[in-house]
Amino acid sequence: MKDGWDQLTIIERQDAFLDQWISAEGIEFASEEKKIAYQERTQIVTDAFRLSTGIKRVPIMPLTTFAPTMMAGKSGYDAMYKPEVAGQAYLDFCNIYEPDTAGAAPMLMYGPALETLKYVLYKWPGHGVAEHLSYQFHEKEYMKADEYDHLISDPTDFWLRSWMPKTHEALAPLATMPPVYGTMELPMAGPWLTALGTPPVQEALKALMDAGKQCFDWINVLGPYLGQIAAAGFPFGAGGATKAPFDVLSDSFRGTTQLMMDLYRRPEKILEAVDRLVKPMIETGVSGAKANGNPIVFIPLHKGADGFMSDEQFKKFYWPTLKAVMYGLAEAGCVPACFVEGGYNQRLEYLAETSDIRSFYLFDRTDMAEAKKVLGGKVSFGGGFPVSLILTGTPEMVKQETKKLIETAAGDGGYILSIGCALDEGKHDTLKAFVDAGKEFGVY
Amino acid sequence: MKLLIEAMVEMAEDKVLELTRQYLKEGKDPVEIFRGYQAAMVEIGKRFENNLYFIPELIMAGEMMNAGSELIKPHLSQSETDSEKKKGRFLLATVEGDIHDIGKNIIAMMMDLNGFEVRDLGVDVPGDKIVAKAKEFKADIIGLSGLLTLAFGPMKDVVEKISEAGMRDTVKVIIGGAQLDQQVCEHVGADAWVTDAVKGVSQCEEWMK
Repeated sequence: MKDGWDQLTIIERQDAFLDQWISAEGIEFASEEKKIAYQERTQIVTDAFRLSTGIKRVPIMPLTTFAPTMMAGKSGYDAMYKPEVAGQAYLDFCNIYEPDTAGAAPMLMYGPALETLKYVLYKWPGHGVAEHLSYQFHEKEYMKADEYDHLISDPTDFWLRSWMPKTHEALAPLATMPPVYGTMELPMAGPWLTALGTPPVQEALKALMDAGKQCFDWINVLGPYLGQIAAAGFPFGAGGATKAPFDVLSDSFRGTTQLMMDLYRRPEKILEAVDRLVKPMIETGVSGAKANGNPIVFIPLHKGADGFMSDEQFKKFYWPTLKAVMYGLAEAGCVPACFVEGGYNQRLEYLAETSDIRSFYLFDRTDMAEAKKVLGGKVSFGGGFPVSLILTGTPEMVKQETKKLIETAAGDGGYILSIGCALDEGKHDTLKAFVDAGKEFGVY
Repeated sequence: MKLLIEAMVEMAEDKVLELTRQYLKEGKDPVEIFRGYQAAMVEIGKRFENNLYFIPELIMAGEMMNAGSELIKPHLSQSETDSEKKKGRFLLATVEGDIHDIGKNIIAMMMDLNGFEVRDLGVDVPGDKIVAKAKEFKADIIGLSGLLTLAFGPMKDVVEKISEAGMRDTVKVIIGGAQLDQQVCEHVGADAWVTDAVKGVSQCEEWMK
């Protein structure tokens, strides 16, 4: 980062990173025209984050997972096994709909690497779900109640020797390794290295190397398409991704049912565990953003939504560590972008607390008039368009709803138009109507 | 029984089980004890409707109810176990192509606790199987669950298959999931849509009145 970084305020750091993003340094554009288009797009997104009154138009940022490939008539299997298919579909999607940010094609991941690892945390096309579908989370109790202390005392050791061996079955032998700390002294180094030499661990390490090589080859095919997307003038909507500590515990480790009972059975352990996860989650988000030269860090929010817990529980168990992650990201110059799944009608006041940093909340089913009332002029927010209309409505219905949404939610300069759901699928006419209406009615 | 009801409503799991054991040991009527659990469930349901309780409390309540039933059951005669009159038969499945089950499991538990006879077919269930099982079970209500937008199509297919089987007039269809709304409900051809379990139970109770 630039000279004098330590002396900058949080917002100055975020602005410096956003300016770096707008500068588009290092991108080879197809033409000068495309470079201008790219910079106009990054500029309006940045203006929305800065709540700038000088913003020209409401930015349009549809989130996609499998929609670009499905709309191109390609299966979920193709999307995850043929990077050239995924890359072309994501490029075509940008050229057809001309959104202000492009989706992150690498989030589709590479099926063969998951096969090598015998990955069980998700099921994916051809592996547990039909080939025409999308990947889906396979929730289970991957961490037992008596493992809280392991996680709390040493998250990385827990991750490597307990959780990964359960969720990546090819890595199961790693559970037999002693902790790495023996390497601190020559006479104590033997047991760890010896364990690495056992045939099962050798197999596991080989699987890890193979999966790494597969992903490296995959990104070398996908990468040039990502380059073409940027060259065509489309900035990516996220540089990195991370999670709220409570969601890590709930989604990936304990499972929702178990964690909901832990709220009563072992509340202190939850508090210690989520606290322990703050720094690793900051680090995860920052590393992606820095590697990609894009300050936006995507944070999908799950179990803190209305209905999942009470206000008191949210205030105690969910929000403090999410907020700490957001501020940690901001301190590193990143812009935390929370994808607020479900409804947050009872939580809006909390979100307004981050008005002293640049932050963004993309809503799914939250009342957008209420969001505007509570958050307008304080933080950037977006979304709220019902995916049901994209999939089952007519272009005219979509146009009218988009107009209505912009009238309701925009006006403070901080609103970003988006659908309240990462699209697994889409319909051409309605999606086109959505983007066109956004450009027509979103001009300030 | 007041102590037990209070303990359960306040989520004091250990206390609930301790009191249950104590009452059974003292020779209290097991049916009476079980009614205490039911009374607590009614209060917990009310608190949920009033936005005081949420999913953690529903899950805890279900857990306490299960653990309590296990303790009480051996003390009940067969006729006492069977005597409870069911409100209706509820068949439930996550539709084909969708493997999510958190919402489905919560509604299954809530419907059971609220006096419905529940048959849960699991996740990723093909439409033909849902219709065949509904027929066999003589379902009054079919609940279709799905988190993904990719579940809309399979939900619609199930409703069409129910019609083809000539059952549409005798069975109600309720769909549940995070991305559902009136627009999707009409597209699917269901009778009602919900995004939370307690609303689902209320709707089903309304139908069975």
